[in-house]
Amino acid sequence: MEIKTTTLAAQPFLKGMSERQLEVLVGDATAAEFKKDELIFNEGSPANRFYLLISGKVALESTPDERYDARDPVLIETIGPGAVLGWSWLFPPYYWHFDARALTPVQAIFFYGTRLCEQCEHDHDLGYELMKRTADVVVGRLQATRRRLFEQGKNLLFPI
Amino acid sequence: MMQINTSTLADLRFFKGLPEPHLKKFVENAMSAEFRAAEFIFHEGERANCFYVVLDGGVALVSRERAQLIETIGPGDLLGWSWLFPPYFWRFSAHAVLPVKAAVFHAAPLREACENDHDFGYELMKRVAEVVVERLQATPYQLPQKPDKI
Repeated sequence: MEIKTTTLAAQPFLKGMSERQLEVLVGDATAAEFKKDELIFNEGSPANRFYLLISGKVALESTPDERYDARDPVLIETIGPGAVLGWSWLFPPYYWHFDARALTPVQAIFFYGTRLCEQCEHDHDLGYELMKRTADVVVGRLQATRRRLFEQGKNLLFPI
Repeated sequence: MMQINTSTLADLRFFKGLPEPHLKKFVENAMSAEFRAAEFIFHEGERANCFYVVLDGGVALVSRERAQLIETIGPGDLLGWSWLFPPYFWRFSAHAVLPVKAAVFHAAPLREACENDHDFGYELMKRVAEVVVERLQATPYQLPQKPDKI
């Protein structure tokens, strides 16, 4: 699969980006495929990239550290086509905070985040568009995560 | 009531490193606010037309239906991001746990400033995204922690 500006223009995350911005993004994009059960990235390793999912499903999992009794990976969330995978590449300390595993065969667009960060710093029109979309996605993800934990009846800190 | 000026903001983490013109834009849309301990700052379901940066005191973010604490927010921290994206209503409630001094910012003119000035917009969105990513990464998952390590 070849990634073209038209491929990018069709992605919900990039909707409304200008032709010029899509051309910059295309320079940082490569097609990526993962087999079922393949690890896309793992917690604690350096984060220099992100993905837009075209098809398939990905599980985000976290392995509890020594603060927890159980040590089996915990499912945080399952994401599918159109979703953004990964934002640890944006901010220090630039390492992954969870594992990402393909639940089905996955087709995705790989973006080289480190270079894209530099391009954003130099081109604030591009940077604004990308950060606005990222902020929107992470706000939604945080609100959904908190809501889900409440629905499971978990106290996030302690009961009041 | 205290005056919010660029030097009030410049030292706070959220605004750190912002050039003077960007700080001025925040100041132009800022007021100071004070809340008594236990006083509500905003309620879940209400329109989110502003956001806060806590200057002094502590704020609890709570869920209405279960009266559960989500997180506490202290001096220098950003409070609220539902103002940034539609549908612009608060997902949770916030109340002061200690007497609070805060800077309150009007959302609509700052959103407009982002659209009109992408240098400003880039800085604002980047800073909000960074705070939210941090909070997301600090959110515990489903497992109970060992009591002695909390």
